[in-house]
Amino acid sequence: MKKIPQPIEHILDKTFDRMESFVHSHKKVNFLFGALFSAFDGLLRSSKDTAATQPFIRNNYDVKRFMGAVLVALVIGWVFPAVYFYGWQCVISKLMVSFIVGVFVVDVLWAIIAQEEHISEGGFVSCLLVPAILPPQAPLWLVGLGAALAIIFRNVLGGVGHNLVNPAIFSRLFLTICFPSFLVMGYQTPFTGMPDLHSLRYGLDAVTHATPLTLFKTNGEVASFFSLLLGTSGGSLGESCRILLILTGLWLIKIKVVNWRLPLSYLSSVFVFSLFFSLIVGKSVAPPIFQLMSGGLILGAFFMATDPITTVYNQKAKWIYGAGCGFVTVLIRDFTTLPEGVMYSILLMNLLAVPIQSLMVKIRYRA
Amino acid sequence: MKLFNLCKKKEIPGFHGGFNLLEAYPIRFCNVIEKISSDVAPKQFVFNAPQQKVEQVIVNLCPTEPWALPNWVTLAHDTSSFLDKVVALRARCFPAARVAIAISEKEGKHVTEAIKYAGNTDWMTAHPLNPKYPQNDPVVLSKVVLHAEVECGADTTTQGILILDAQTIAAAYESNVLGNKVNSRFVAVSGTGLKENEVIRVELGATIGKMLGGRFKANGTHRVFVNGPLCGREITDLSQEIDWSVNNIVVLEALNVKVMFPMIKQEEMSFTTNILGEVRQCVYCNFCDDTCPMDLEPALYYHSYTRGEGHKARSYNLGKCIECGLCSFICPSKLELLQTIKACKALD
Ligand code: SF4
Ligand code: SF4
Repeated sequence: MKKIPQPIEHILDKTFDRMESFVHSHKKVNFLFGALFSAFDGLLRSSKDTAATQPFIRNNYDVKRFMGAVLVALVIGWVFPAVYFYGWQCVISKLMVSFIVGVFVVDVLWAIIAQEEHISEGGFVSCLLVPAILPPQAPLWLVGLGAALAIIFRNVLGGVGHNLVNPAIFSRLFLTICFPSFLVMGYQTPFTGMPDLHSLRYGLDAVTHATPLTLFKTNGEVASFFSLLLGTSGGSLGESCRILLILTGLWLIKIKVVNWRLPLSYLSSVFVFSLFFSLIVGKSVAPPIFQLMSGGLILGAFFMATDPITTVYNQKAKWIYGAGCGFVTVLIRDFTTLPEGVMYSILLMNLLAVPIQSLMVKIRYRA
Repeated sequence: MKLFNLCKKKEIPGFHGGFNLLEAYPIRFCNVIEKISSDVAPKQFVFNAPQQKVEQVIVNLCPTEPWALPNWVTLAHDTSSFLDKVVALRARCFPAARVAIAISEKEGKHVTEAIKYAGNTDWMTAHPLNPKYPQNDPVVLSKVVLHAEVECGADTTTQGILILDAQTIAAAYESNVLGNKVNSRFVAVSGTGLKENEVIRVELGATIGKMLGGRFKANGTHRVFVNGPLCGREITDLSQEIDWSVNNIVVLEALNVKVMFPMIKQEEMSFTTNILGEVRQCVYCNFCDDTCPMDLEPALYYHSYTRGEGHKARSYNLGKCIECGLCSFICPSKLELLQTIKACKALD
């Protein structure tokens, strides 16, 4: 993809120019498709704006590339392994439903109604996360509803840059409240072994099987760390293959899309608190390594707690934020009837982000 | 990974943040053009030692902007004879001052020569510095070299610190020590809007238009910046005269067309005035405070200002900002942080 032949590029460029002038010169077309066109155009071409004030040169790094990196990381981190473990029919159909409902229907409609200039790529990330945090056997309408809820919710709060809490998690919470049975039951054992024709349709007729965390809650069974790491032990669609999630998360840290403080403080606080509680309370609390490697923790720590808009801005506050997430996660997992607490902890800390931020700013500039 | 890097990379005397512009925009100057003359009688360069007692002279041999006049033009690959000039100038103009040579650590031979030379005196020191922007800003330079706190925008000579660049020293040596007349200086001209990157010797008083005459690339719209596109000023009137403060001139293409597949064309895109993205909301990415050389949090000013609480910005150490412009430069949401900072500063 390094070199695109000059003529093709030229023709594409001309076509886009023509389409642009067509869209802009027809009021009705612009109203209906302007948003969609500009989003597509924005993906393929740079913007026209030049810097009007100092500094007159700007760095070659914009929010679009930010989101692009997260998308790539998520595709490698959960879509690929999920296709292997649960079959492509299960995964791809959910993704398509999520994207079509979330981005192409709800977001475009919203852009039309609210007369926004463009739809944002932030929606892609949310829509990619929604199926990932639902069980593999969640029906398609549930995925569509989740994506729609996430996007509506984000837009109502003012769009990218203003959402107080992570939209994907919020919609998952909403679904848990409305349709608890689907979200508690739909887990299954992942496929393992060499993929064959049958395995492609695997997700459709598999038997349900509880997640490792639920198993621990009910009969104290600890899954093997190896199976947790590789993802052969079941769970939500996107959280299982932890080794890939960790690798892509580290890549995001390396290219500075993800701030390393958050995953580090989150994961280490889960470790510290679960160690602390298991020393005090004993066997009824899951052991630290098991807690680190199970549930949605890795996905949450690298991809959801770090969602740049919903976290705190101050660097020191990030440590507190991450530690808070870890503490709440361990509390919910160990001392409530719920098996998993990552979503709730991130949601809670999202809400606490503003107070933590203003507190840290006050402390820093107290003088 | 980041942690590992942090432990490994012990920063050579300096500051956190900053940005290595020299690597991001490699500009090479090849030829030196001799003398473009002025149409009017050229002005004379006069070097006046400041009224206050000079306690400390910093010789700034550490250009951090790639478009700035490179050292070799004045040093001519001979550090010792340049330092001889410094010695003679000190004896003539500020005999009691200590001299610190701030030199880019990347210039290996010059660094060793300067350190050796400084070792022979008890009033001269050599400081190899990391040439990342804005290392040679007066505030940062005084802080890194002398551990002295200078306020942004304040005249450093009131604190007895005099900062001189290589060319000023060479010229002051000519005029004050040798008694010759100096009426020309070197100006570095570069940028995507020009045919070649050159160093031009030009008489003071010649117009910018005359100096750039015939050097523009034929097509496209050009924008002309004096003293760099980062913190310099844009000029539209090319009949301005060149005076001693003009170190370099950068001409850039405006590039106000859409470009196909920008992600794979980083090299050709980057050195233009295009903002390379769309203006968005702040996403709390921390790029701005990571890169801020003064350890400030520019996004705080931005949020205070847009919420209509610009006066609050002052309590967040706004006064320490040296207006280097890196925060605007780096912001992926393309926010006009430097403009907001200036607006906040202007509030009272
Ligand atoms: S302009 Fe001010 S706030 Fe921005 S990076 Fe420079 S010193 Fe920091
Ligand atoms: S660099 Fe820009 S988007 Fe990032 S935190 Fe600073 S102001 Fe916000």
